[in-house]
Amino acid sequence: MIQAQSLTKRHGGKTAVDAIDFTVQPGKVTGLLGPNGAGKSTIMRMIVGLDRPTAGSVKVNGKHYSEHRAPLCEVGVLLDARAVHTGRSARNHLLALAATHGIPAARVDEVIELTGIGAVARTRVGGFSLGMGQRLGIAAALLGDPAVLILDEPVNGLDPEGVQWVRQLMRYLAAEGRTVLLSSHMMSEMALTADHLIMLGRGKVIVNAPVSEIIGMAGTHRVRVRTPQSAQLAALLAQPDVTVTTGEPDLLEVAGISAGDIGEQAAAAGIVLHELTGVSASLEEAYLALTQDEVEYRASGSAQLQEA
Amino acid sequence: MTETTATKTPAPAASSSPAADGTVPGAASAVHGLSAAGLLRSEWIKLRSVRSTAWSYALLVLVSLALAAVMSSTLDLQGADASMIPAADQATFIAQTATFGVFFGQLIVAVLGALTISGEYSTGMIRSTLTAVPRRLPALAAKAAVLFVTTFVVGLAANLGSYLVASLVLSRQGLGVSFADPAVFLPVLGGALYLALIAVFALGIGTIVRSGAGGIAVVLGIVLLLPMVFQVIAAPWAAAVLPYLVSNAGINMFGLMSFSPVPIEWWVNLLVVLGWLAVSLVGAAVVLKRRDA
Repeated sequence: MIQAQSLTKRHGGKTAVDAIDFTVQPGKVTGLLGPNGAGKSTIMRMIVGLDRPTAGSVKVNGKHYSEHRAPLCEVGVLLDARAVHTGRSARNHLLALAATHGIPAARVDEVIELTGIGAVARTRVGGFSLGMGQRLGIAAALLGDPAVLILDEPVNGLDPEGVQWVRQLMRYLAAEGRTVLLSSHMMSEMALTADHLIMLGRGKVIVNAPVSEIIGMAGTHRVRVRTPQSAQLAALLAQPDVTVTTGEPDLLEVAGISAGDIGEQAAAAGIVLHELTGVSASLEEAYLALTQDEVEYRASGSAQLQEA
Repeated sequence: MTETTATKTPAPAASSSPAADGTVPGAASAVHGLSAAGLLRSEWIKLRSVRSTAWSYALLVLVSLALAAVMSSTLDLQGADASMIPAADQATFIAQTATFGVFFGQLIVAVLGALTISGEYSTGMIRSTLTAVPRRLPALAAKAAVLFVTTFVVGLAANLGSYLVASLVLSRQGLGVSFADPAVFLPVLGGALYLALIAVFALGIGTIVRSGAGGIAVVLGIVLLLPMVFQVIAAPWAAAVLPYLVSNAGINMFGLMSFSPVPIEWWVNLLVVLGWLAVSLVGAAVVLKRRDA
């Protein structure tokens, strides 16, 4: 369990994390989501004491990280930036970390095997690909068999097989009762991996809710209607709280009215329908709707982010 | 989160039912947590598993042996009978030959000491180190202790080897002093001690500066350039400061060369070196504890 209380970090005059409160529960995968500069990495670094909070506090399993007798056995962390000496072999890197806590070499070989870096474990890390480096980082995080795992962009640089592996591993670890906190900028990844989301924007929590609830929050459930008489149907449905948009000639996207009502009105007017489908918003749309005002570094031509 | 089980993280592909007994995995009970012995072992693994360490120490030994060989073989007694040279002078010459490598050795171990920590900053390794040891200062202490002991041992080996080389070469000219003579073994030990202290001094500077190039520049500036600068300044105060520069005090400590018109006791020199070391390490501790990593 991770608990943050009015956690704040300011770099000079800029506030990276602005008095946020949150709790990360065990047994679930919790996603930390937000645009660049939202404070995700800073929060993770404060949890493990690499950055000192300007105000407030964050505790892991009831204590500050540094107060634990065996920190690596409480929290395993993978940071987004590399944290390995490039001149050392992967195995020696892990052995050096393990030695601090008296973790046996057998466990080092276990995590090497688990993360699939056995073939390169005795070569220098400097020559590792991004994906191998990421696997080594995950191996280091698992070293102490910790009850809490914190991973910043864990699938970054992994091949599709690796992405799949990390996803399964996260789900498995959470199912074992561990606390899993991960950040990602890939919404699709979060939708597949996370149970719960903490969305950040400009250092503040925008939403802290289960994934299913967040998709619901995006509000507008739309209905896709395919009909050869699209102009006729559009005129029929025209009401103040109903919006109808057309894409292809015989396709309508209707919001503000249920699929059932559309079907009944069309039947009453004798309009033939070829398709009548309810479309719920994706996590991606929900995210964009919720963070639209919070995007700090918005590209000037980001029109593709708007709903079609 | 307090109850622990010995379960290790299994492969994700395994579909066994998780935590059936309701206990939370993690914090394996076999692990005892952070300990001084563990930190020392960790730093020892780190020191010996990068190439710069082996290179630096090998260079230290080779340079010492080579200098001893060159110095002893070029000694010209100008026809004098070696048996006429007082034993004390023979001892001094052999001691100087055996420790001459320390002049160069101090630069090598200074670079190594700075790299030991700045290498962690430049690669990001420091984040792993400080995550494993979040109180931070024990990690610095362990690093300093391992660097000190290793450098002392290698420095001693280099000086001993140099003594053997010098004795061997000089015995052909009839010169010879037992290693048991304090005039020989004290400088040999003192030279190794100075090398170990300079390495740790550089570690402290490297921690403060954080960058490899910057750390090396600052350390070499203090060890190498500062004495030259003060030597060039003609003012009496510059001459008065000269014996208290870290490298001058260190070299004077084991009797290789004096920088003061009046003799300075070896322990005064040692205190001067320790003073420099204290400033460097206290500065390092303060910034390491304060700064975000």
